[in-house]
Amino acid sequence: MYLVLDSVRKEFDNKVAVNDLSLEVPRGVIYGIIGPNGAGKTTTIRMIMNIIAPDSGRIIFENQEADRNFTDRVGYLPEERGLYKKMTVKDVMTYMAELKGKRFAEIEDRIDPWLERMDLLDYKERKVEDLSKGMAQKLQFLTTILHDPDVVILDELFSGLDPINIELIKDILLELKRSGKTILFSTHVMEQAEKLCDHICMISSGKKVLDGKMAEVKARFGKGTIQIEIDGDGSFVRTIDGVASVTEFPNYLELRLGKGANPSAILKQIVDKVAVTRFQLSEPSLYDIFIDTAKVSREQLMGEGEEAHHG
Amino acid sequence: MAKFWVIFKREYTQVVKKKSFLVGIFLTPALMAAFILLPGLLATTEQSEPERVAIVDRSGMQLGERFAEEVKRYTITEDEIEAYRIVEIFELRTTEGERYTELIDSLSQVIQDKGVKYVLAFRPNPQLSDTNLTLITNSDDFRAINRFERTLTDIVSSIRLQESDVNLPVDSVLTLTNRIDLQIRDTKGESIPFEVKYFSALAFVMLIYAMIVSYGSILMRSVIEEKSSRIMEVLLSSVTPFELMLGKVLGLGAAALTTVVVWVVLGGLIMVGTGGTVVAISDSISRVVFNPVIVTFFVLFLVSGYLLYSTIFALIGSILNSEKESQNYIFPIVIFLMLPVIVGIGVVRDPYVIWAQVMSYIPLFSPTMMIMRIMFIAPTETSYSLFSGIVFEGTVSFLLVVAATLLMTWISGRIFRIGILMYGKRPTLPELMRWVRHK
Repeated sequence: MYLVLDSVRKEFDNKVAVNDLSLEVPRGVIYGIIGPNGAGKTTTIRMIMNIIAPDSGRIIFENQEADRNFTDRVGYLPEERGLYKKMTVKDVMTYMAELKGKRFAEIEDRIDPWLERMDLLDYKERKVEDLSKGMAQKLQFLTTILHDPDVVILDELFSGLDPINIELIKDILLELKRSGKTILFSTHVMEQAEKLCDHICMISSGKKVLDGKMAEVKARFGKGTIQIEIDGDGSFVRTIDGVASVTEFPNYLELRLGKGANPSAILKQIVDKVAVTRFQLSEPSLYDIFIDTAKVSREQLMGEGEEAHHG
Repeated sequence: MAKFWVIFKREYTQVVKKKSFLVGIFLTPALMAAFILLPGLLATTEQSEPERVAIVDRSGMQLGERFAEEVKRYTITEDEIEAYRIVEIFELRTTEGERYTELIDSLSQVIQDKGVKYVLAFRPNPQLSDTNLTLITNSDDFRAINRFERTLTDIVSSIRLQESDVNLPVDSVLTLTNRIDLQIRDTKGESIPFEVKYFSALAFVMLIYAMIVSYGSILMRSVIEEKSSRIMEVLLSSVTPFELMLGKVLGLGAAALTTVVVWVVLGGLIMVGTGGTVVAISDSISRVVFNPVIVTFFVLFLVSGYLLYSTIFALIGSILNSEKESQNYIFPIVIFLMLPVIVGIGVVRDPYVIWAQVMSYIPLFSPTMMIMRIMFIAPTETSYSLFSGIVFEGTVSFLLVVAATLLMTWISGRIFRIGILMYGKRPTLPELMRWVRHK
C-alpha cells in the first residue's frame, strides 16, 4: 500500500477530533475522504501533512514513517487558501516550489506551459493582487502541483471554486492520475466525490464509517434505489408498500426500497396518481449510503455542510 | 536548513526590492544629520560683519596678543574684512585672580547686552591644562568655536614645543600638539556641548528605536498576513514553525543590517575622503559620531536589540488575527524602547545616575539606555579596556541582551508553532503559558 494511516488519533481539549482512523490509499488512484464538516477530515489531512502531530498512530508512506521527504513530494491545497498579494505570479510559484525543496532551474520550464494552460500567461509578471478571484484560484492550484508532486492532497477542493475552474481542475486531476500520481481529497459534497473518486472513505465524528473502491461500495448496497421525476405532489409515495425511505431533492425523489420490494409494482402505483417524466432504477447515491451507515439524518448532513468550517 | 534559506531569501528580497528601502537608506542619515546639526546650523547664519571678541588674559605669556594676531587669518568671504574683531585685551598679571573674576562677571554682562559676542578667558599655564582656557558666549556657532580652538591649538602647541626637550619621541610630540578643547560656557556658566551630546545621543537612540520598531512591525504584519490569508498552512506543510520564524526574523534582520552597513561604509568614506576632519561638522560631534567604541556598541545593540524585540513581535503576530488588532500591541512594546529617551535629559546630566545604570542592565531597556550612556561616557574616557569602564559595562549589558534574546526565541518559538494555526479568540496568558510548556 502506498500511503497508510494506522490508528491515527487526535484530541483537542478532550474532544476527539480523529478517533483511531485507519486508511489505506493505493498508488495512482483518486481517493476521496467524505463526511460532513466537523467529521475530522481537515484534522486528518493536517496530520498527514505533518502540520499537527497525531496523539497516537502512525502515518506510513512507501513502507516508511512519513517525514519531511514525504511532505516535499506532496502538493497540498488547504481548504482556506491564500497567496502573497504583493508578490508576482511567477515569484509566488517559484517560492512555493522552492519551499518544497526544488531549485528554480528545476521548475523554470514548467511555469510557462502551466500558466498558458490556465490562461494566466499574460499575468506572469503581475502581482497577485491584480488577479480576479477565479484567476487566484487557478494560481493556488498551480502552486500546489508545480513542483511535480507524487501525491496531491486537496482539502475541500470544491469549496469556493467557480464552475469553470471545477471542470478545468477535474480534467487536470484525471490527467495526473493517468500519469501515475495519487490524489487524495476531502469533500462534503457527495455528488462531486461520486463522479471523481475511485476509492472512498466515509468518516463521521472522527470515525471511519466505511471505505473501499467506489464500485464495490455501491455494489454492496445493490440496485435498491429508484429515482423518479414527477409532475405534481409526490408526498404520497412514502405510504407505498415496499418503500423504506424517501429523500426529496429539488427536482426529483429518491426512494430506497425495502427487501424484496418490486420496482415495477411501485412504479404502477405512482403512475396511477401523477404523471412520471423519468424513472430510473439505480445504485444508491453516496448520500443514501452515508445516511444508512452513519445513522445521521440528511438534514444533519446538509445543514452541517453549510456551516463555517472549523477543522 | 535549505528551507530556512528559502524563507530568509524571500523575506530579505521582499524588503530590499521596495523603493522605500532605497529611499530610507539615504533619507534617514540625512534626517539624522539635520537633527544633530540643525541647532548649530541655525546659529551659523551667514556672517555679514565682524563679530566682537573680548579677551581676558591672565596667562602671563601674551596669549591674548598672539591670539589676536593669529585669528586675523579668518575673514568674511570675499570681502577682506576680518571675521573677528578683538575689541579689548585685558592683560592681567598671573596673580590677579580677584580682578580676573570681576572682569569675567562684568564682561558676561556685556555679552548679554550684545556688546561683544565672545569672551575668551585665559588663566595661567594654558599649556598644562585645557581647563585654563575658557570661552564664554551665548552663541553655539560651531564654526567660530572650531576656529578659536584651532587658533589656540597652534599657539599653545608651539609654547609646549618650546618648553620641552627637542629630542622628544614622536608620541610625545603628538601629545604636545593635542588639539585644544576649549572650555565653553554661556553667561550662566553652563557648558554648551550639552546640546551636542544630547542631540547626537538622541539621534542614535532614535535610529535604534526606528530600526527595531519598523522592522519589528514589518515582521509582525508579515506573520499576520500569512495567518489571515491562510498561507500559513501551506508554509507549515513544507517547513517547521521554528524554521519559518527564524527565517523571517533573520531575513528581515539582514535587511536592517544592510542599511546599517551602507551607512557605516558611507560614513567611513566621508571620513577618509575628508582626511579625518569631517566637513561642516563640529569637532565635538565628530568625536561622538566617529568614536570606535560608540560605533561598535551601536551596531551590537542594534543587532541584538532587533533580535530580542523581533522575537517578541513574531510572538504577538502569531496570536493575532488581523492587522487592525496589532495596533494595540505595538505601543506597549515601544514604550520600553522609548522610556530611555523620555528620561534622557537626566542621563545627559549624569550618565552614572543609579536608575540609569540599573535600566541599562535590563535587556528590554538596554538597547536604547546603554547606548545613550555609552555615548555620554565614552568620549570622556581617555583609554578603553574590555575589563573596566564603559566598555566593560557595555559588554556585560550586551551579553545580557544576548541571553534574553535566546530565552525569548525559545519562548516565542513554542508559542509561535501553536499560535499560527489558531484563529478566532485571542489566547489568555494562562493559555500561552500552557503552550510554552506543551511538548
